[in-house]
Order: sequence, then C-alpha cells, then structure tokens
Amino acid sequence: MSDTFGQRPANASETSMLKQLTSGSLPTLALIIALAFLPAMLGGSWTFTMGLCFANSIGVLAVSLLVRYGGEVSIGHTFFTALGAYSVGVLDAKYGLSLFASLPLALLLGVAFGVIFAWPSRNLSGIYLAVTTLALALAVPEIINNLGGITGGYEGLYVSTPIVSFLEMSMQRYYFALLMLVVATYLVARLRKSRQGMLLLLAKTHSAAADAFGTRRVWARISIMGISGGIGALCGATLAFSGSTVSPGGFTFSQAIFLLVGSVVGFYGLSLPRVLLGGAFVTLVPHLLSASGAWIPVFYGIALLSMILIGHHLPRIRKAMKLRKEAG
Amino acid sequence: MTEPQTNTLRGEGISLSFGGIKVLKDLDVEFRAGEITGLIGPNGAGKTSLFNCLTGAYTPQKGNIGYAGNSLNGLPPSMRAAKGIVRSFQHVALCPDLTVRENVMIGVARNHHSGWLNAFLPLPRGQREWAAMAQDANRALADLGLAEMGDLMPDALPPGMQRLVEIARAIVGNPSVLLLDEPAAGLNNSETSDLMAVLRELASNDLVLVVVEHDMDLVMSICDRIYVLNFGELVADGTPKEVRENPNVVRIYLGSDDD
Ligand SMILES: Nc1ncnc2c1ncn2[C@@H]1O[C@H](COP(=O)(O)OP(=O)(O)OP(=O)(O)O)[C@@H](O)[C@H]1O
Ligand SMILES: [Mg+2]
Repeated sequence: MSDTFGQRPANASETSMLKQLTSGSLPTLALIIALAFLPAMLGGSWTFTMGLCFANSIGVLAVSLLVRYGGEVSIGHTFFTALGAYSVGVLDAKYGLSLFASLPLALLLGVAFGVIFAWPSRNLSGIYLAVTTLALALAVPEIINNLGGITGGYEGLYVSTPIVSFLEMSMQRYYFALLMLVVATYLVARLRKSRQGMLLLLAKTHSAAADAFGTRRVWARISIMGISGGIGALCGATLAFSGSTVSPGGFTFSQAIFLLVGSVVGFYGLSLPRVLLGGAFVTLVPHLLSASGAWIPVFYGIALLSMILIGHHLPRIRKAMKLRKEAG
Repeated sequence: MTEPQTNTLRGEGISLSFGGIKVLKDLDVEFRAGEITGLIGPNGAGKTSLFNCLTGAYTPQKGNIGYAGNSLNGLPPSMRAAKGIVRSFQHVALCPDLTVRENVMIGVARNHHSGWLNAFLPLPRGQREWAAMAQDANRALADLGLAEMGDLMPDALPPGMQRLVEIARAIVGNPSVLLLDEPAAGLNNSETSDLMAVLRELASNDLVLVVVEHDMDLVMSICDRIYVLNFGELVADGTPKEVRENPNVVRIYLGSDDD
C-alpha cells in the first residue's frame, strides 16, 4: 500500500543526512572560520565585546534548551551563570588556579544545582516553575554580597590566570569563549540524535506516552535541568574568563530576563547562528539601554517578559478559545 | 512444557471512580497469552480507563492487577513498561518534534542503557545503540507498510498513518503485553486488513494482546475471546460467536444506535 505515496529514494536516510550536512553544518562551519579570523580585523574593544557575546550566547543556549527539551521557561538562569562565574573567579583570584581546575568545578556545580533545584520543583510547570526560577534569580545578588569574604562583594573578582602561555591574554579571552560556544552548540546538536534526547522530547510533548514507554517525567525534568544548569554555568565560567571580572552586577534579575529575551530573539534556536543572534542581543542591548536611564531596562524586561509568556501560552490559549467557540 | 496460563494479565475486582462517578465497577478480567482478546463496549463504557489501570496511568480504588503471577499493584507506568507491558493511545500521542522513525524508536528505547556521555559525544556504544534502534524501527514500519515514511515528520502523514506509527511504536519492542486502544480508528480498508494481518502474526504464544475496537468486523474476525463492557460493568464475555448471540450485547448495541 505504501507505493501509493509516490516514489521515494530507497536510501532516504542517507539523502536526508546529506541534506542536513549541507543545510546545517556547512554555513555553521563557514561562520566559525569567519569568527576565528575576526580579531585580526577588529579593534581590541570589539574583540573583547565579541568574547562576551559568545559567552552570553552560551547562556541563551542554556535557556533555549530548557524550552525546547523541557518545555519550561526560566527567568532565573543567572543563578547558574553566577555559579560558573564565581567558580572561576574565586579559584583564580584566591588560589591562582586556572580554568583547568575551575571549569570542571563550574560544570559540576551547575549540573548539581540544576538537579537539586529540579527535585523540589519537579511537579511545577509553566508560570509556576518560571516564578520559582525567578526566586533563584532574585536571591543571587544577595547571596554574593553575603558571601563577601570569598566573592569579593560589590567589588568583585579579577580573573587573570592565562590558560596557555603562547597567546596574548586578550586573544585567549576571545578564543576561549568562541571554543566554548562551538563545543556547547555541538554537544547540544548531538543530543538531538540520542536516545536520551528523544525521550526528553517525548516527555515534553506527551508525558503520558513517555511514561507508558518507560520514561518517568521526573527523570526528564531532572535531566533537562541538570543539563541546562551545566550549560548555564559554562556560560558564567566563560563570562568570567572572557570578561575578566566577576561582580554581582553581571547576575542581576534583569540579566536573567535578558537571557530569556535573547532566547526568544533567537527563536529558541539551538544552532550556532541562532544562539549567536540571541547572545548579540543580550550583549549589546543592555549597553544601549543603560545609556538612557537606570529604570528603562527593567520596564523593557517586564514588557518583553509578558510578551514571552503570552507567546509561550498562545497555542494553549488559542486552543481553549477554539474549543469554546465550537462548544458555544 | 510451560502452561500458557502462566503469562496471563489479570485484573480482579477493579473499581475506579472519579469524584463519585463510577467508571469501573468491580471488574474481573483475564487476558491470556497466545490469544487476541477484544474489549468492546459503547462510548464511555470504561475501556480506555481499564487500559489506564492496567498500565498504571490510573490507580484503581479497589482491586488487584497481576501479570504472570506477580502483582503489579503500586508499580508506576514506567516500571510496568520495563516488564514489557505496552500500549497504544486512542488519541495518537506521537512527538511532533521527532521523525516517524524516531517516534517508533521510542518503543525500543527501554531496552537500551548507554550513559549520558553517549548522548553528547559520538561514542561507539551510543552509535551502535542508535543504529540498532533505527533498524528495529524500520522493520516495524515496514511490517505496517510505512517503510518509506521514516524520515517524515508525523504531522505530514494522514491521521490513519499516524495511528499506524503509533502501533509500530507499541509493537517494535517485542512487548509481552500489548494493549491497543482503537488501532483501526481512521484507517481505510486496505490499512485495516494490513493491520489485521500484523496482529494475527503477533499473536504468538507468549504475547497478551488486547484490542479495544469499535470496528466489529475486525473484532469478530481476529479475536479469540471478547469482553463486553457497559457503564464500567462486564456484560458478557466469550468467543465471538457467543458474544454476538448474547441478548445483552445485542440490546446494548441496538440501544446505543441513536447517538
Ligand atoms: N481522568 C478522568 N477524569 C474524569 N473522568 C474520567 C477520566 N477518565 C475517564 N473518565 C470517565 O470515565 C468514563 C469512561 O471513559 P473511557 O475513556 O474509559 O471510555 P471508553 O470506553 O474508552 O470510551 P470511548 O469508546 O469513547 O473511548 C467516561 O465517562 C469518562 O468521562
Ligand atoms: Mg476509549
């Protein structure tokens, strides 16, 4: 009966893989090469800003991943970026340890706290979970200031230990961020073609079906929060190294909102170009806005947040309205 | 020789209610391996609810559920799935983010256990696992006449085919208990007869196969035994012939004709 559906090439999977390679990987590869040569063309301050942009893109990736694989919105990811950033900052400034030591610690803490957060909030979803993550975000600056002894309080910490000896520090800051961004997007792209990735996606769309095929929704929630927390911490670690300083100002509530907005700007995409788009937004817009008054970013954030939540719930709202229309 | 009765799925005295509405009333059922059992009854009779109790999605207020002599009471759905108790859904529950093949691969995922590193890096174990799952899925899709559809997204298929994908996902992992909820709904005649052939082939000695279906021709022709539910109560059970001639069943089906 299948021959009624037109002639398809017998090796459909091979052709689709080829298509994937040409449509996804090649432009991405070209983009990476272009970015690798960028510092030669840019001035120092733009090179620095681009490094921050890569780091923020990783944060956008963490938030988008949670949306795409967990179906949940976080407005508290600065909790995880702060964890990563202070892992790097404290080990560097207090103990003179480089990223070789602090990066694994950052990842470990990010994953661990993602899991720890996921457990008590496992039965929350939608706006309720978002508000819970908000609590995380609001707590961050307080925690940092209260632990002033190790975090350096308002002053913050300066990150200066190089990773390698043969490259100028400003170049290290740039290329490390680029490398981390490429690695993070690669790992996330791999997830899509894995057993775990498929199960997460099913659990997101049909948790009853996932249950019926052996995947507990608690497992799904904990896994995706762990991964997203880990990537969030990677963002923070990269911000710390590439931005050279770690201070509470980088982990405010509005920063958490900007990460979410960046994720929306990148259409919740997980590919390198998409998260870069979001990262660029997160990096540049606050700068532009801060020139126009201290409260504007907050209003801006709130306006965008409401748009996001409406956008997020729109399919359900539409469905409900349609049902009501059909019933009435 | 093993007794065929040992791999029976049993429900004893199952009662289920939602806020005072009794959906299942003290129901005794026995689904034997090697047989195809039909579960029929008018809309709202409680067929899907019974499946939900058997798979652990619902917890009945009273009664026991056991498989192969072991109690399943209190086991969550995921652990029943691990025992090979698998279902299809009346309302197709495919993941729109996954291709047709990947949706079917979900059905064998529980047999694979590679760790998280394999999810993020192209390690040999994860690659092998993926290839094995894809191969199993391709075979199940081919059995249901969907060999060419693997790379499409489910939304690109007509509803009948989506349902076949749903069934492919259920049969692909060699289940020991297979509960199909209206597998023929939305299928055209040739798809239905393909499905019947597949089900007959599946009904081997060690599979408990239960089919909820409104298509009476299908039920009467493939089932060895039929249970008839009405308002959560068992009205009749027996061979297709016995059930067809049962006056209660005739009354129920004539009585529900007006809707
Ligand atoms: N989660 C639930 N909450 C409340 N009532 C429920 C729930 N699930 C089922 N019911 C009720 O239980 C009754 C039986 O429903 P069920 O879906 O089991 O019927 P069915 O025999 O599968 O019918 P159909 O042929 O229409 O699929 C219905 O009255 C339904 O409204
Ligand atoms: Mg039903």
